[in-house]
Amino acid sequence: MTVDVDIEEPGSSTAMRFEVLKTALKDAAAAARPGRLSFPTRRPIETPNFMGVTSRGCLPHLTPDNVTKYIQASGAYMSLEDFIEKPQQHSSRVPPIYSTPTSSKHPTPLHSFTGMPSFITTILGARRIPAVPSPMGNTNKSISVFTNTGFQPLTTSDYLSAVNTLKPDITIPLSDLTNSNITPNSKRALRMAERTEDWIVDWFNSSSSSSTATFAPVLPISYPMQWEYLTRLSEDYVDNSQLSGLAIYDPSLLPDLPSPLLSLPRLSLSPPTTPHQILSHISLGIDLFTLPFINTISDAGIALNFTFPAPLPSSPSRLLPLGTDISNPSFSKSVTPLSENCKCYSCTTHSKAYVQHLLAAREMLGWTLLQIHNHHVLSEFFSGVRHLLQNGPDEDFEKARNDFLRAYEPDFPAGHAEKPRARGYQYKSVGGGEPKKNKPAWGKLGPDADGNVEGVETPVVPEGKEVEEKGFAEEVKE
Amino acid sequence: SAALTFELLGKCSTTRARASILTLPHGKVNLPIFMPVATQASLKGLTPEQLEGTGCRLCLNNTYHLGLKPGQEVLDAVGGAHNFQGWNHNLLTDSGGFQMVSLLKLANVTEEGVRFLSPHDGSPMLLTPEHSMSLQNSIGSDIMMQLDDVLVTTHPDKARMREAMERSVRWLDRCIAAHKYPERQNLFCIIQGGLDLEMRRECCREMVARDTPGIAIGGLSGGEAKDDFCKVVVTCTELLPELKPRYVMGIGYPEDLVVSVALGADMFDCVWPTRTARFGNAITKHGVLNMKREMYAADYGPIEDNCGCPCCRPIEEEGALGITRAFIHHNAAKETVAAHLLTLHNVWYQLNLMGKAKEAIIADRFPAFIKEFFAGLYTDKKDYPSWAVDALRGVGVDLLEASAD
Ligand SMILES: [Zn+2]
Ligand SMILES: [Zn+2]
Repeated sequence: MTVDVDIEEPGSSTAMRFEVLKTALKDAAAAARPGRLSFPTRRPIETPNFMGVTSRGCLPHLTPDNVTKYIQASGAYMSLEDFIEKPQQHSSRVPPIYSTPTSSKHPTPLHSFTGMPSFITTILGARRIPAVPSPMGNTNKSISVFTNTGFQPLTTSDYLSAVNTLKPDITIPLSDLTNSNITPNSKRALRMAERTEDWIVDWFNSSSSSSTATFAPVLPISYPMQWEYLTRLSEDYVDNSQLSGLAIYDPSLLPDLPSPLLSLPRLSLSPPTTPHQILSHISLGIDLFTLPFINTISDAGIALNFTFPAPLPSSPSRLLPLGTDISNPSFSKSVTPLSENCKCYSCTTHSKAYVQHLLAAREMLGWTLLQIHNHHVLSEFFSGVRHLLQNGPDEDFEKARNDFLRAYEPDFPAGHAEKPRARGYQYKSVGGGEPKKNKPAWGKLGPDADGNVEGVETPVVPEGKEVEEKGFAEEVKE
Repeated sequence: SAALTFELLGKCSTTRARASILTLPHGKVNLPIFMPVATQASLKGLTPEQLEGTGCRLCLNNTYHLGLKPGQEVLDAVGGAHNFQGWNHNLLTDSGGFQMVSLLKLANVTEEGVRFLSPHDGSPMLLTPEHSMSLQNSIGSDIMMQLDDVLVTTHPDKARMREAMERSVRWLDRCIAAHKYPERQNLFCIIQGGLDLEMRRECCREMVARDTPGIAIGGLSGGEAKDDFCKVVVTCTELLPELKPRYVMGIGYPEDLVVSVALGADMFDCVWPTRTARFGNAITKHGVLNMKREMYAADYGPIEDNCGCPCCRPIEEEGALGITRAFIHHNAAKETVAAHLLTLHNVWYQLNLMGKAKEAIIADRFPAFIKEFFAGLYTDKKDYPSWAVDALRGVGVDLLEASAD
């Protein structure tokens, strides 16, 4: 069975298509399933798979030419809050992204404003992943979003018109989330479900919703709390193809989904933090992931090096690490690639020693090379998953998943690279009082010609005993 | 010499500008040339492929920084800086001395070398000409620079200035003696002598007699008046052999490049174009534009109209990225991607400016090129910088004369 969603809006992709490639699994509630999600003018996405997570419209550290050349991911998650800040002196300005002209190469404003290549499927949500909790809370008609200039309300109608203008391929309508780790009490949970349901009804009543594939949120609250909402989704919006997919905030709810919803593609917005969790969510039936950990792992200086299926253990008692902290000075002379046998650009062109050097020198290329490599590792990982799901009996995947769990350490190693210069508000503290992310840059940095003092330049004063140890100059014996 | 050939393609019949091809161990480069500075073996976030894509075939690494990180031992182990950074085109390295003196304010120069206190524990250290050569040999740069005794040109002590000039000549001899691979790495001398033109002439004669494959004019860009800068360049180029490349160190503003080419210089380097990119500034034919200004927030045009860089090229073209000013504004100082894109643009601008100068010289229309260049930067001739007007008048170009049309 396939779900075809016809979208009439000119200029946007006309129809999303999702097919489960193993028909026996198409209506399975909680089972891993291979599939394919496609939009007519985008690169088809074989599932299970992952989408890149953007920051302010960029895959961090990757210019669009590098995305085209070196990144296999076919989709990108973007958050509206990254584009709608209101600068103090220009608080009434219309967010510039809304007026961006399009072209054949950049067919939607979302593509053209960000320079994202047209083969990339775009997903728009209101908030970043993970979202910074707002002290303001939501109202009956708006949620609180966190922009570069602070928190501001985003109304349901503003969101609708944003989607209508930006023409994302996939949209996640607003939901009344707390974005907190604390489970909401039942009163709050019930209100979440009610508001989200009200908003969904408004959403589908508006013509804007037809210009995009709608992935309705499945809330991170218990099934009984959102039973009515999910029932409405399955009864009112599946048969008429208004609903194209589900945005899952808690994969453990998948076994409870009403059966009319089962054939829809499932996008996870509960970002797993390890490959083990990814595999477990795949087992529960997630088709598409957003994985913000790739960006943070790259910033920390870690090169991922796991594969699926896992290699046969050389020593059954020793767990394999999921990644390598390339910032470790022990790699300063290592001429081997970030990960043996990796075919990515970084590994075929550069060595650990070079990336270690770039991280130590805080040269931005270090993070670019890690992003290319880490996205590649994840692409290969998902490709391994799909291969098993498509070609083997169902047990093969579960066996390989168990082998993977037994082969690898449960967590990523700690990375010790100094983070890139804080890129603005995503590093904003939530509670306040956190120490600065990075220790102060070396030495003094004079203001540039414009009087700017931001921007850390080349270190001017060597650290530690480097001068002597590296033989730059000789020590004078007196 | 063994590691370099210099082929003069054409000379401007009015100014001293020359166009030539310099063939180095890692390929040919066209002169005049701007060389971007990849201080620590990386050009500010660009992959070697992206740098290559700007047309760059010769860039700088800094010996001081590479000597510390990754260090000589690693450079030897990986077979030099080309391998280390995956750059198959040419590299030029400085001697490390300038960085010592300018970055470590406590450096002291003696006849042996540059003495400084270890920033770590205060123990005395020494960088000698022999050390500098040894490191640059390990780096494997196509062009190496001699260790020189650098003073700011505005140094008030004339006796010290003379000492520095004469010492730089003596250090050149030590560098030549210590250079292990003259058959595959070129050592350039550096003319010193501050703003004293007689001292510069004397230094030119001494340095030229030592017959290095290329010659640099050093000590400038240290805060001297632009008029004085031009006088030094023009004084030196007059005495330098025609068939050797002439490198004016550390300059990079477009006006400085164009005027220096007219004064007979061929090679330039500066961190400014890439540094200013990281502050959100785009170099254009109409001057430097700060993309952080609100006026660009909803400007959907390219960074610069008619620019041929990957960011700005017409969107229909193969490889064009379709980057708008609005997107740069959106992410300037917020995402590294904006800095990378502006770096691509700025490097392309500088290389293209020199490429266009070369074409104009060969077509013998360089004076017209200079006039077009200044007319692009300033709408009113009375805003032309007087140093540029005077310097160009000295080589036969009157920027202020009424245009022919
Ligand atoms: Zn790799
Ligand atoms: Zn450009």
